[in-house]
Amino acid sequence: MQGDMAITSRSSLLGKDAAYWGMVLLPAVFLATLYLVPVISVMVRSVTEPTLGLDNYAVILENKAIQNVLGKTVYICAVTTALTLLFGYATAYAMCRMPEREQRLMFFLVILSFWISVLIRTFAWIAVLQPQGLLNDILIGIGIIDRPLRLVRNDLGVIIGMVHYMLPYAILPLFANMKTIDPTLVPAARALGATPRKAFMTVFLPLSLPGLAGASILVLIFSSGFYITPALLGGGKVVMIAEYISVQMSETLKWGLATSLATVLMLVVLALTIAMSRYMDIGDTGKKA
Amino acid sequence: MTDHNRKTSKTNAVDIHCDAYQKDLMEVLIEKSSSDPVPRRLFLKTAAFLGISSALYKITPAFAGQNEIVVVNWGGDAIEAKEKVWVSLYNKKHPDTKVVVNGSGPSSGKIKAMVESGKVTWDLCDRNNVGGIDLGAQGLLEEVDYTRVDADAVRDIHRGKWWLGAYLYSFAMAWDTKAFDGKTPKDWKDFWNLKDFPGTRMLRKNFEGQLEAALMADGVAPEDIYPIDMDRALNKIREIKENTIFWGSGSESQQIMRDGDAVMGNMWHSRAGLVNKETDGRVDFTFNQGVLFAGAWIQPKGAPAGKAAWDFAAAAQDPASQVEYFKLLGNGPINPKASALVPADMANRDPGSPENIAMQVPVDADWYASDYGNILNKYLDAIAS
Repeated sequence: MQGDMAITSRSSLLGKDAAYWGMVLLPAVFLATLYLVPVISVMVRSVTEPTLGLDNYAVILENKAIQNVLGKTVYICAVTTALTLLFGYATAYAMCRMPEREQRLMFFLVILSFWISVLIRTFAWIAVLQPQGLLNDILIGIGIIDRPLRLVRNDLGVIIGMVHYMLPYAILPLFANMKTIDPTLVPAARALGATPRKAFMTVFLPLSLPGLAGASILVLIFSSGFYITPALLGGGKVVMIAEYISVQMSETLKWGLATSLATVLMLVVLALTIAMSRYMDIGDTGKKA
Repeated sequence: MTDHNRKTSKTNAVDIHCDAYQKDLMEVLIEKSSSDPVPRRLFLKTAAFLGISSALYKITPAFAGQNEIVVVNWGGDAIEAKEKVWVSLYNKKHPDTKVVVNGSGPSSGKIKAMVESGKVTWDLCDRNNVGGIDLGAQGLLEEVDYTRVDADAVRDIHRGKWWLGAYLYSFAMAWDTKAFDGKTPKDWKDFWNLKDFPGTRMLRKNFEGQLEAALMADGVAPEDIYPIDMDRALNKIREIKENTIFWGSGSESQQIMRDGDAVMGNMWHSRAGLVNKETDGRVDFTFNQGVLFAGAWIQPKGAPAGKAAWDFAAAAQDPASQVEYFKLLGNGPINPKASALVPADMANRDPGSPENIAMQVPVDADWYASDYGNILNKYLDAIAS
C-alpha cells in the first residue's frame, strides 16, 4: 500500500515535469519553425540575391537615398525617444508621489491606451491635428491663431503620433524603477540643506538612471520599426526604414536590398536588446536597481 | 453488474476509436478545404490578414482545384462588383467552374513569392499594363491565351504578351471648387501655379501618373513626354514639394480631398468621382491631361487553373458587362464597343469615351517597366528628402 502511494506520487511528479517540458517545447518549436527559419532565410537572401556576396551591404553604405532614409529614421527615433522619456519621466515621478487611489487611476489611464489599435490612434490624430481638424478649429475659434498650424503630414505629426504610442512603454518601467528608490532619501538630503533642485539632481536622478536607460532603449527599439504611423502622419514625405523595406519587398522586387536592410535593422535591435538586458537585470529579480 | 460492464466496455470502445475518428475528422476538413471554395477563401483571407507569406501556402491544402478559378483583386467594393457582374456572366457559360474572388491584393512581391515557392494558388490577377510588362519580363507570368480571349475587343495599346486590358483608369486632376474664388484650374500648369491657385497640393507616393503631370506643367507637350526626363520631372516636383501631401492609398486620397486638407490633387479618377459625389460637387475633376492606364488581367506562372482561367477574362470582355462594372465602380470600359452603351449622363465620367480619350495621355508602360524599381526609388528619394 505504502509502495503504491510512493509510485503514484513519483509518476505524477514525472508527469508534471513532462507537462512543463511540453509547455516550453511547444512555443520553442513554434518559434523555431515560424520565426527562426524565416529570419535565417532573410539573412541568407541578403547575401545571395541577386548575386552571391556583400553587394547589397555595399549599396547600403554607398547609396545616398538609403542613407537619407536611415538618417530620417535615426532622427525621428531620437527625437521620439527624448520626448517620450521627458514626458514619461515626469508622469512616472508624479505617479510615485500620488496617494494610492489616484495612482491606481493613473495606472488605468496609462494602460487604457493599449486598448486602442495603432491604426485607429493614427486616424484619430489626423482628425485632431489636420488643418481643419479639432485642434486648429479650437485655436482659431478662441483667437490664438488666424491661420491653421501645420501639425500633421510632416515630421511633427509623426513625432506626436509616435510619442503618444510609446509613452506607456516609458512610464511603466520608469515607475517600476522609481518605486524601488527609498522615499526618505530626498527628504534626508533636504534636511541636510540641499535645495530641491540639488536634492533631485544629486540623489533622485542618479538612482533613477537605470530605469531611464532601460526605458530609453525600449522606446528606441520599438520606434525603429514604426511603419503605419509615419506612413499616415508623415504625409508621404517621412519614409522610415520599415516602409522602405516594404516598398522594396512588394513593389520594386529588390529583395536582396530589402533583406539586407532588414538584417541591419535586426542587428541594431539585437545590440540594443543586449544593452538593455544589462540595465534591466533580466533574470536577477532579487537585486535592487 | 452486467449493466455496469456493458457501460464500461462501450466507453472503452469510444476511447479506442477516438484517435481514428479525429483523424477522419481532419481528413474531412482537408478534403473540404481543398474542394469547397468557402473554407478555402476563408483560409486565404485569414492568411492574408495574418500576413503569412505565400511560402507557407505549400504546407496547406488550399490549392485551387481543377474546377476553380481564383481571381485576385485589391479588396473593397471591387470584390462584390466582380462577383455581381463578371462571375455571374462567366458562370452562364461555365456552370461547373467555381470562381472565387479574393481581395488580398496581387502585389508584385506576393506574386514573386508565390511563383518562386512553386505553389501558385492564384489564377488571374487584377493588375495593370505596367505590372504585366514588368513581371512578365522577369519570367513571373504566363502568356495571355489569345485563342480564348478576343484580341480585337481591346485597342492595340491595351493588350500585350503577358497582359490583357480589363478596364481603364486615369490619374486625373481634382480640385476644390470653393478654394479659388470661382476660378477653375484647367491643366497641370495651373496645378503648379501656387500664386493664382494657392493652397496645399496632393500627389501620389508613387511616380505613376505624377512624373507626366510634372513635365506637362513644365511645358512639355503630351506627345513628347516619353522617355521621361527624370531630373526635369523630379525638379518640377521639388518646386511644390513643401506645399504637397503625398497619398498612399486610394481611400486616403479621397479623405484628403474631402476634408479640404488639399485643394488640388492628382488622383485616380474613380476616387475623384466618389469624392465628387460625397461633397455634392464641391470637389470636381477633369480628364484633361490625365494619364490613362489600363487595368489588366495577368496570370502568375504555374497558375493551377491554367489556360482555362482566360475564359473568365474573355467573359469580362463583354461590352455590356463592362458598362455595368463602370456604373458600380467608375472604372472605364476598355472595349471600344462599350462607349456607345454608356448612358449619356455618365459619359463625361468615362475615361474611355472618345472625347475623354482624346484629352488624356496614354501611359508608356514599356518605359515604366524598363526600370520600374529604380524609378520608384528615385521618386521616393525626391519626395522624402
